Amino acid sequence: MRGIVAGSAYVPRFRLESEKVEAAWGTNHASGVEEKAVPAADEDALTMAIAAARRVLEDAALDRATLETVAVATTTPPLEEGDLVPQLVRALDLPADVASVTATQHAAAGAEALSSALDADGPVLVVAADCPEGEPADADHAMGAGAAAFVIDDDPAVTIRDVAWHNDHTPGVRFRERGERDVGSLDITTYERTALREAVTETASALEVDLEGVGAAAVHQPDGGLPYRITGDIPVSGEAVAAGTVADRIGDAGAATVPIGLLAALAEAEDDATLGVFLGGGTAAALACEGSLPVSGLEDLEDGKSLEYATYLRERGYVVDGEVAGGGANVSLPNWRRSLEQRYRLVAGECPECGGVTFPPKGACQECHARVEFEPVEASRTGTTRAVTVIGQGGAPPEFAELQQRDGAYAVAIVELEAGDGTVTLPAQLTDVDPESVAVGDAVRPTIRKIYTQEGVPRYGAKFEPAE
Amino acid sequence: MRDAYILGAGQSAFGSFPERTYLSLFDDAFDATMDSVDGELSPDEIDEAFLGTLGVGGRQIGLSGPAVTEHLGLHGVPTTRVENACAASGYAFRQAVTAVRSGMADVALAGGYEVMTDASSDHTRWWLGVSGETEWERMSGTTFAGVYAQMASAHMEAYETTTEDLSRVAVKNHGNGAQNPKAHLGFECSLEDAVSAPAVADPLNLYHCCPTTDGASAVLVVSEDVAREYGDALVRVAGAGASSGRVGLFQRESLTSIPASVRAGEDAYEEAGIGPEELDFAEVHDCFAIAELLAYEDLGFCERGEAGRLLREGVTDPDGELPTNTSGGLKSKGHPIGATGTGQVVEAFKQLRGEAYVQVDDPRYGLTHNVGGSGGGVTVHVFEREEVEA
Repeated sequence: MRGIVAGSAYVPRFRLESEKVEAAWGTNHASGVEEKAVPAADEDALTMAIAAARRVLEDAALDRATLETVAVATTTPPLEEGDLVPQLVRALDLPADVASVTATQHAAAGAEALSSALDADGPVLVVAADCPEGEPADADHAMGAGAAAFVIDDDPAVTIRDVAWHNDHTPGVRFRERGERDVGSLDITTYERTALREAVTETASALEVDLEGVGAAAVHQPDGGLPYRITGDIPVSGEAVAAGTVADRIGDAGAATVPIGLLAALAEAEDDATLGVFLGGGTAAALACEGSLPVSGLEDLEDGKSLEYATYLRERGYVVDGEVAGGGANVSLPNWRRSLEQRYRLVAGECPECGGVTFPPKGACQECHARVEFEPVEASRTGTTRAVTVIGQGGAPPEFAELQQRDGAYAVAIVELEAGDGTVTLPAQLTDVDPESVAVGDAVRPTIRKIYTQEGVPRYGAKFEPAE
Repeated sequence: MRDAYILGAGQSAFGSFPERTYLSLFDDAFDATMDSVDGELSPDEIDEAFLGTLGVGGRQIGLSGPAVTEHLGLHGVPTTRVENACAASGYAFRQAVTAVRSGMADVALAGGYEVMTDASSDHTRWWLGVSGETEWERMSGTTFAGVYAQMASAHMEAYETTTEDLSRVAVKNHGNGAQNPKAHLGFECSLEDAVSAPAVADPLNLYHCCPTTDGASAVLVVSEDVAREYGDALVRVAGAGASSGRVGLFQRESLTSIPASVRAGEDAYEEAGIGPEELDFAEVHDCFAIAELLAYEDLGFCERGEAGRLLREGVTDPDGELPTNTSGGLKSKGHPIGATGTGQVVEAFKQLRGEAYVQVDDPRYGLTHNVGGSGGGVTVHVFEREEVEA
């Protein structure tokens, strides 16, 4: 039997409490959501996927070269058409010959990705990452963000015993028009809820599992209240639903909510079966799990930095025009692509003549100035700031103006990292930190974030965040 | 190798002249230069021209040098445009010195020009970043001020340098610039003003940063024969040093020094046969306040970490042992990027002829120090006033 070998979650650090939404709009459409996770301006589905996947690959102690398949689920790929799995492959140094699966198009995409992993051979990396958006007056109220990553393989800690599917066309329930960013629904309340409840009942009942004995169930949760309402026709207890519900803390993270809820439930599971019930438009899937496993990153669910509502609108980009004025720094895409090992993995070069280390490993050795063939060495994943400044609001180069309008002042440091037998220094933006608190000598670690979008193409690379 | 001398030097007003072109600004600088020559030198005597500019705004990216000399009426004079960011005309001057010393030219024109205040702020910010290292430094979202601010943070950490120390550069240079009618920001400021100004890139505030400026400057570099024929006073280029460094701060051997300044300074002193203790004044590259502190240490005015003390003790004040930036420096006189290097030579020329607005008492040796970007290219020149035998 196949199943889950390792699981990790990632949730952005910002939070917005529903009472602030209510204060802003005089109403709140996020039933049962106390607060929700908010992606930073430099985060998107890809960066969250990388963050969760990095954790699960470390936990699984897996030889990355043995991975056979990489499956990604999201309704918010950074590009509607373009690379997604290949970016993960480059960012995480995965083998280029993995089979690639991209599940998108509906909130049950995580089920498709997990199911394809169960059907494959060998170890599979599955990542669900999402950050849906909606009309700020209403659908946005519940929209959160997060990511879950799994390694699926034989001899798992958690066996996935069964998967059941149900497909029925349910127009108008949850959809997004081509070219639009806002998820919509026609809000035909009874019709919608009936359709969802039937899909839950059809799929859950088709599983070869005693539903009365289910200990926890992560059920489709576009808010914190709906999973209880749509499980009314199956004999799964409210406590079980609560054990698999995370939307009350992170909001609707699209295709990632049920996967995160499932991992949260599995981390606490005992002998009873755990269910995952995924609904997306008319596609529904349920899976039955048995067992338990430690899950890293769940502390993200409980921890967050609270935002004011106006800051939230900025951070998410609802009130910022993303045009790059004046043009960006001229680093051509072919040249950029050639530097991906440095941007994603901080690969420096060791000089075979003097042993000095150079970053980026191009041109003459920084130490002895000889022109040599560098030996690649990956820099350490914790470093120290050696020089810092804060680029205040309005002071950023034009290509960073959008980021700054959204996220505010940011710190830029020269970071020293160990590499080989020496050290390298590189300039880097700091993220997920109050810029005013940054000082020379701080311990930092890299995280992959969006740098900026130029000519329609988002570019990603290492920024640094405080190391615990 | 024969010696090179300065026969004349002049500048346009430095300031914000968005309606002016770089061509007309250079006309002003050239006229001031020719006016400064004691004798009647004909412009036809000019053999060669080297003109520095970054070309902020993207105006006339190709062939702006010939455009300037043809506009001036220096018809047919071979003209080379030099680009080394903020050290463009420091290097143009070096080329002119080399041309005269080699014997290729008897009269070489060096100069620079920049128009920076006629573009939108987004456009200007883009251009101000082009001399940083573009693939990594700029991609970290930093600005030119940000890179110097990083150096300031490291210097403050290493040597307990303070915001007051940085601010004293502004107080001193504005005090000097207030006497200079051609200065861009010719007003005085108090230490309190300078300490409490709004942040630009922490730890640097507005008074720790030079302005963006329009202007032009020019210098006539000549052989000894020409100098004696047309000049009443002899200003000799006693030492010429220059050095390159990594364009990105992160790849340099030090964050608290500009290594190319050290190397350029050593070469210039060696050629001049003097040390920093024999200097009577200096014009150093104070694009940001921290840059002036680094210059003191890099050029041997004091030991490492002692620059703040020099300022506290007034050593570089006009009445101190080594008056520095008597013109007002980049901070107050202004920093029209391509015009700055030869603009510094204008001040050295005036000082050694006793014609400066803030005049040092009977100087013999002076130094100019011009930095490109955050330290990718540096020129240092030492000048000596020679007594003319009657």
